[in-house]
Amino acid sequence: MSHSGSRFATVLIIVGCLIATGCLVSARNKSFFGKTDPPRENILRYVSGSEPESLDPQIPNLQNEARISLALFEGLAEYDPKTSEPAPALAERWVVNKDWSEIVFYLRHDGRFSNGDPITARDFVYTIRRGLAPGLGSRTASLAYPIKYAQAFNEGRVFVFDPNTKTFLLERDFVESTEPAAPSAAETKQPAASKNDVQPPENATAETEFHRFMQSPARLALPGKEKARKAALDANPKLKAAVDGKQFVTVTADSVGVEAVDDYTLRISLMQPAPYFISMMPHQFFRAIHQKTIEKFGNRWTDPDKIVTSGPFKLDSWSHYDRIVVSREPHYWDAANVRLDKIIFYLLDSNTTILSLYKSGGLDATYNHTVPAAWLDGIGPMKDFMDASEAAVDFYNFNTTKGPTKDVRVRKAMNMSLDKKALADWRHVHALTTLIPEGIFPGYPQLKGDSFDPEKAKKLLADAGYRDASGNFDPKKFEASEVELIVNPDANNIPYAEFIQAQWKRNLGATISIRVMENKTYFVAQAALDYKGVSRTGWSADYLDPFTFLGIFYTSSNPTGWSDPKYVELLDRANRTTDHQERYALLAQAEQILLDAQPIMPTTVPTTRMMKKPYVKGLYPNPTTLHSWKAVYIERDPSKWDYGMPDMSK
Amino acid sequence: MLRFIIRRVVVIIPMVLIVISLTWVLVRLAPGNFYTGEKKLSTGIEANLREKYGLDKPWYVQYGKVLKNIVRLDFGNSLKYEGQSVNQILWRGLPVSAALGLSAYLIALLVGITTGSLSALKPNSWIDYSSMTLAMLGISIPNFVLGPLLVLLFSLTLFWFPPALWDGFPSRSMVLPALTLSAIYIAYIARLTRSGMLEIMRSDYIRTARAKGLTEGQVVTRHALRGGLLPVVSFSGPALAFLITGTVVVEKVFALPGLGNYFINACFNRDEPLIIGIVAFIAITVLVFNLLVDVAYGFIDPRIRYS
Repeated sequence: MSHSGSRFATVLIIVGCLIATGCLVSARNKSFFGKTDPPRENILRYVSGSEPESLDPQIPNLQNEARISLALFEGLAEYDPKTSEPAPALAERWVVNKDWSEIVFYLRHDGRFSNGDPITARDFVYTIRRGLAPGLGSRTASLAYPIKYAQAFNEGRVFVFDPNTKTFLLERDFVESTEPAAPSAAETKQPAASKNDVQPPENATAETEFHRFMQSPARLALPGKEKARKAALDANPKLKAAVDGKQFVTVTADSVGVEAVDDYTLRISLMQPAPYFISMMPHQFFRAIHQKTIEKFGNRWTDPDKIVTSGPFKLDSWSHYDRIVVSREPHYWDAANVRLDKIIFYLLDSNTTILSLYKSGGLDATYNHTVPAAWLDGIGPMKDFMDASEAAVDFYNFNTTKGPTKDVRVRKAMNMSLDKKALADWRHVHALTTLIPEGIFPGYPQLKGDSFDPEKAKKLLADAGYRDASGNFDPKKFEASEVELIVNPDANNIPYAEFIQAQWKRNLGATISIRVMENKTYFVAQAALDYKGVSRTGWSADYLDPFTFLGIFYTSSNPTGWSDPKYVELLDRANRTTDHQERYALLAQAEQILLDAQPIMPTTVPTTRMMKKPYVKGLYPNPTTLHSWKAVYIERDPSKWDYGMPDMSK
Repeated sequence: MLRFIIRRVVVIIPMVLIVISLTWVLVRLAPGNFYTGEKKLSTGIEANLREKYGLDKPWYVQYGKVLKNIVRLDFGNSLKYEGQSVNQILWRGLPVSAALGLSAYLIALLVGITTGSLSALKPNSWIDYSSMTLAMLGISIPNFVLGPLLVLLFSLTLFWFPPALWDGFPSRSMVLPALTLSAIYIAYIARLTRSGMLEIMRSDYIRTARAKGLTEGQVVTRHALRGGLLPVVSFSGPALAFLITGTVVVEKVFALPGLGNYFINACFNRDEPLIIGIVAFIAITVLVFNLLVDVAYGFIDPRIRYS
């Protein structure tokens, strides 16, 4: 009996439940997803993503940890709540020198750690040195690599000391010199700081021994490990001869280009000009941490009974795999403007669970991408659905090192035969034909990639040799078995890939198979170029500057294997250029080279797709979905609620 | 009896070592590492990480460290979660899983044995048919379907219970996960009880008991249940072991901080010490519970003797 019977009964139960929910929901407020009763206390209940690896802001590298670090720690600059651009925080202002080799930060005098200790320039020197220490194993240390000798210290490199002349060997004598720096414009100041437009006081230019060391030409830094060093020396006979009989001196923390000129003046020297450097300052890697606590407790310093923090909130409790509770920090310099008493971060990452909790009134807001594409038709029109463009891109890598996709014509053809507009409309996002998303970087000269053109695609493929006797494209000749589309099973990747597969089938007649791989297996295959044809990927900005995207292809160890010295040269030149517009123009030129070579197939710009109850104010769907928590508050007066997306313009 | 127990305990040790070694090999064969992610780390940073966690050492050194840890029953530090030891994580997750598992187990025993016995006493009656249909449903609906259905009904429609999260034991947040978890066990236990009881009710010693003039109630509780529940006992020993050491799906659906949730994430994260710690813990628990079941047989079924 029971088999078909039980199945029938199951269907009945499911249908019954669905009908019951449907009726009841429609009886409630239709314009919002679930309950809209504000919490009784001044508490924000937010979901921050999966369990953090650590509360140490310098170790992990993902958004779920960043969201919590933003509450507990503060850096020189903080993300603007609406634009995500750097705004003054523990530094009141900063001044950049002419050739972008040096930045001086002027710290506020009332910054305090949660134990009451003042936050001084020395704390930032410690913070940056500590983050770079090789033994710490920070995943994000490379963000600090523009700082002089930071990379050398982090990688355990050695300087070469000549005992006879008592000097160090210099980099410029052994590395092929690149073009001289582009003529620099007048002194650049960060717009955010320019309202405090004061001439730097005397001490900014204070000459110290360390400063002279920083200003002197860069020393040569060789690999610290015997084997790697031997390889480097063997590759360069001139270097090998010069190094002979010299001493190797390990690069130490003292050589890293950060200096406390006085208690409240921090001077950072850069290895090479990096105009994007300021936009990295709000990153958690650069947020102030307390030296004594860390030295006392080692890797247990983040335990709730030991931790000392620097942000607007302090840690109350951490119930693992469940929730982190933070509350208002009385020592915080701007405590008067912190509006929430508490934030509860729920450590959840399953979208259905998150949305259930949100609907039942257990959550006030969610992080980005928590609304699955399949729910968009239902949730999309609701007034608490927040959907704004992100500083992120979705694209697919072509393996440019082997198979049919080695041929640029094949890459171009595959890119051209995908109707990105249709894909974007289906997913409720914007189509993308370039690497840099439109509208995120004001003033960036927006390029245009190849548009949808199946006929041209077929011609290109015919040119590439996939043609019949009469010279027309022949899908049978195309080695479709040599190309596959690999994806990881996250979120919406599979339907997305199926859409693209169908497009190629329809527009080219080629059947490209999809291979779904477990996350880590997929990441490894992609990074090692161990895939045939195409792999799905995406990139969210580490900092708000086009270089965060263009830098992916700076070396050939990217998942496409593509590289071009001209591209790298343009990027270097752009970063030496201090004039904002001129720099953007150079970056755009580099992007054009990339688009011409088509190592990637850009598809869409992701949108925030988050939920926020109408009574939560000061929390915006900004480009990074990282929120400055002190700006957030609970509004109890329904007439001041957000009925739709809040106004994002300043 | 004592010799039997000692012999069994001695066997547990090599079993656990084999399980651990296999797990270690499998983890090592899986591509990727705890730090592998969408954004590739620079080679210098990767080298720092490998050195920090001893991954640059030869395999036998690393394997030796694993074995040493097992012997001392200290599984070292988690790779993924900086500054947390595996033992700390185990002791944190266990109470949640155990509270949930035990509640589900008790519900399953209570409901399962009751409906099973009722069905067996009145075979082919409407009670029998309806409870066996429900049991069939319980077996055929997987808990990743049942969980969300219960959430839909009780949390999002009636707003009786929270749809997720853990508010400690006992709390309203436990109700839905415990129900979801128990469904399949209720069904198994009901069916096992029914078939066991049906068989026993036809046996000679029941006829003897009836002939002695015992009432039907006495026959059932004193004689039939003891024999009829043997299959349930052998099923529920390992079942209890699995229930309290964490149930991956239910803990994931309801976002509970139990061992199952830690385990599945440890696998996705390639957090080797944590995977090995949890596997060792589960292996030991299952083996010990099996031993307990075997010992329990002796008390329940007079036909079994250990020599």
